[in-house]
Amino acid sequence: MTSPQTAVVLTARRGAVSSPPPRLSAVERDRAERLRRAQLRLALVGLAGLALLLVGLPILLDAVPELIRPRLFGLPVSWVAVAVLPYPALALLAWRQLRRAERLERADENTGDDDT
Amino acid sequence: MIALAALPVVLATLLVGARGVAALRSTSDFLVASRRISPTLNAAAVSGEYLSAASFLGVAGLVVKNGVGALWYPVGFTAGYLAMLLFVAAPMRRTGALTVPDFAEARLGSPALRRFCAVVVLVIAGLYLVPQFTAAGQVLMAVSGLPYWVGVVVSGVAVSVTLALGGMRAATYVQAFQFVLKLLLFIVPAVWLMTAVGPETRHDALHPAEFSRFTADTPVEFRLPTRIEVPAPMTVLADTDAGPVPVHLEPGPYVVPGQARWVFPAGADVPRIRGTALPGSDDWQRPLLDSDRSGHSLLATWSVLVATALGTMGLPHVIVRFHTSPDGRAARRTAAITVGLLGTFYLFTWVYGLLGGVLMPELYLSGATDTAVVELPGRVDDGTAGQVFTGLLTAGAFAAFLATSLGLLLALAGAVSHDLLPGSLRRLRLTALVAAAVVVPIALLASRVDVGAVVTSAFAVAASTFCPLLVLGIWWRRLTVRGAFVGMGIGLAASAGVMAASLLIQPAPGVTALLLGQPALWSVPLAFLTMVLVSLRDRPPPGAESAMLRLHLDETRA
Repeated sequence: MTSPQTAVVLTARRGAVSSPPPRLSAVERDRAERLRRAQLRLALVGLAGLALLLVGLPILLDAVPELIRPRLFGLPVSWVAVAVLPYPALALLAWRQLRRAERLERADENTGDDDT
Repeated sequence: MIALAALPVVLATLLVGARGVAALRSTSDFLVASRRISPTLNAAAVSGEYLSAASFLGVAGLVVKNGVGALWYPVGFTAGYLAMLLFVAAPMRRTGALTVPDFAEARLGSPALRRFCAVVVLVIAGLYLVPQFTAAGQVLMAVSGLPYWVGVVVSGVAVSVTLALGGMRAATYVQAFQFVLKLLLFIVPAVWLMTAVGPETRHDALHPAEFSRFTADTPVEFRLPTRIEVPAPMTVLADTDAGPVPVHLEPGPYVVPGQARWVFPAGADVPRIRGTALPGSDDWQRPLLDSDRSGHSLLATWSVLVATALGTMGLPHVIVRFHTSPDGRAARRTAAITVGLLGTFYLFTWVYGLLGGVLMPELYLSGATDTAVVELPGRVDDGTAGQVFTGLLTAGAFAAFLATSLGLLLALAGAVSHDLLPGSLRRLRLTALVAAAVVVPIALLASRVDVGAVVTSAFAVAASTFCPLLVLGIWWRRLTVRGAFVGMGIGLAASAGVMAASLLIQPAPGVTALLLGQPALWSVPLAFLTMVLVSLRDRPPPGAESAMLRLHLDETRA
């Protein structure tokens, strides 16, 4: 088994990568465009969630410095908010995104089947 | 001798390297193997490669020096994989491109753009590599007393020999094993430290008091000349060849010479360092980044978060890993699982940071805080247990250093020998050695950089160049070659160029210094905007639309 790095090294440059992309059929094209729009919309919703966490949480911590006084498991709440809380939140966002992205692809596959 | 703890890790890496010689026979080994690799295994491999010395040592060190706010760094490191999942993972896998230069050519059909991307890869990999070597040198120095250069050179040799043996890189399952190893070597000592310190220190770590007075005679090693502000008269003992010499200090600024060891007396007021907060002080306890105390903590925090969250997708050693996934769907799952795995690792960084802040706050004086993690066990227990755990953490730090620097050196060598000066496989190996030979001397000079902070500048460059290229290239059909060129050029100048300039001109602390030193907050939007505006005035290359659309077509399942 070779590492991906080694594979990069070994892949001939004139190989598949630089060849022109295969033409898409009209059906494939429509489906790709539908998927692109749907996935982009989904990704932007996910981005909004990420921004809420990474932009909003610092604002909250800056605006409410008193959060350092109450404690959770011995740690100040405002420390928990940066040391612990973001990780489950990120995992949750990732899980949601993964589920929905896969569902979009499945749903589109089914509509495609109905059409034919 | 504790330094020997690094030996098994180095040996294992060498063996894996030797094993790789046999695996070099054909590319299809990799391609075929990839179909069997599950997203979980691949996610562990991605994490194994990603967790570098910056994660293992750097973040905890930054907590000691800059305060609790430094815990935002690993949040950004993890969020990077969410950004990757949202915008890049699946479509990028479907391009079949293994690197960003590959992607640029596949999507826009421009060999010149590929070469420019390769130059950017060099900048990013260089910024990421140097601090890794620095950390290796500092760790060996801290645990064994060897001079700094020995550690750097030994690491350089270890990496070079691995590369020269031809076993370019560990296979996926070895990387996955590396992740498990690092996770255990990080979590187990953390749990041990928390129990071994006893209730009193534990309480102090969770309720830090300002480190304003030395509670005992405290030796501090200054490796480099350091400017301190002495608040009240005191007499320190300076170590010389002829034995300790008392030095009387009046209140005011002093420059401690490099290579000095000063013992500060118990009861003396702790000297201040301009631009940093005393460990345990109220400023230190604020959970926001404000590395130079200029009072713009929101901007500073966001800047680091933008760089790390958006830069991850452009790291040269990370993207290639996703190609071990058989298809776009598996690549997406890999990214999602990676978010969880990295989160598990980073959940334990605060333990090291807070204990370092209470047990060795004096490190803040010398600035050599990157060694805090490996020095903690010795402070907690001066018996066998302390030595064993120091050894374990040293091994983990070396595993982190090796995994990342091998991946980066190879990405760097690949960029040179494929995209810039095409050549044979032998030439590639040679390039890797030359690259290591260039990086080691730079690391020798850069002995005081903070691993976590410098690595973040590599993220800033990646976020200002490759992030717009990938995101617009995947989602926007009107991207043109000229747009990509100008956008990345502006992004490179606004990130790498501006950071280099701010090192030279050393602006006074304030908004300007912050925006020049950590430009991601404005350089990323600027690069996006430039790329869009220039593209709109231009015509996309023929076939670009289907090149983009096919990235969104999921693989039909049989």
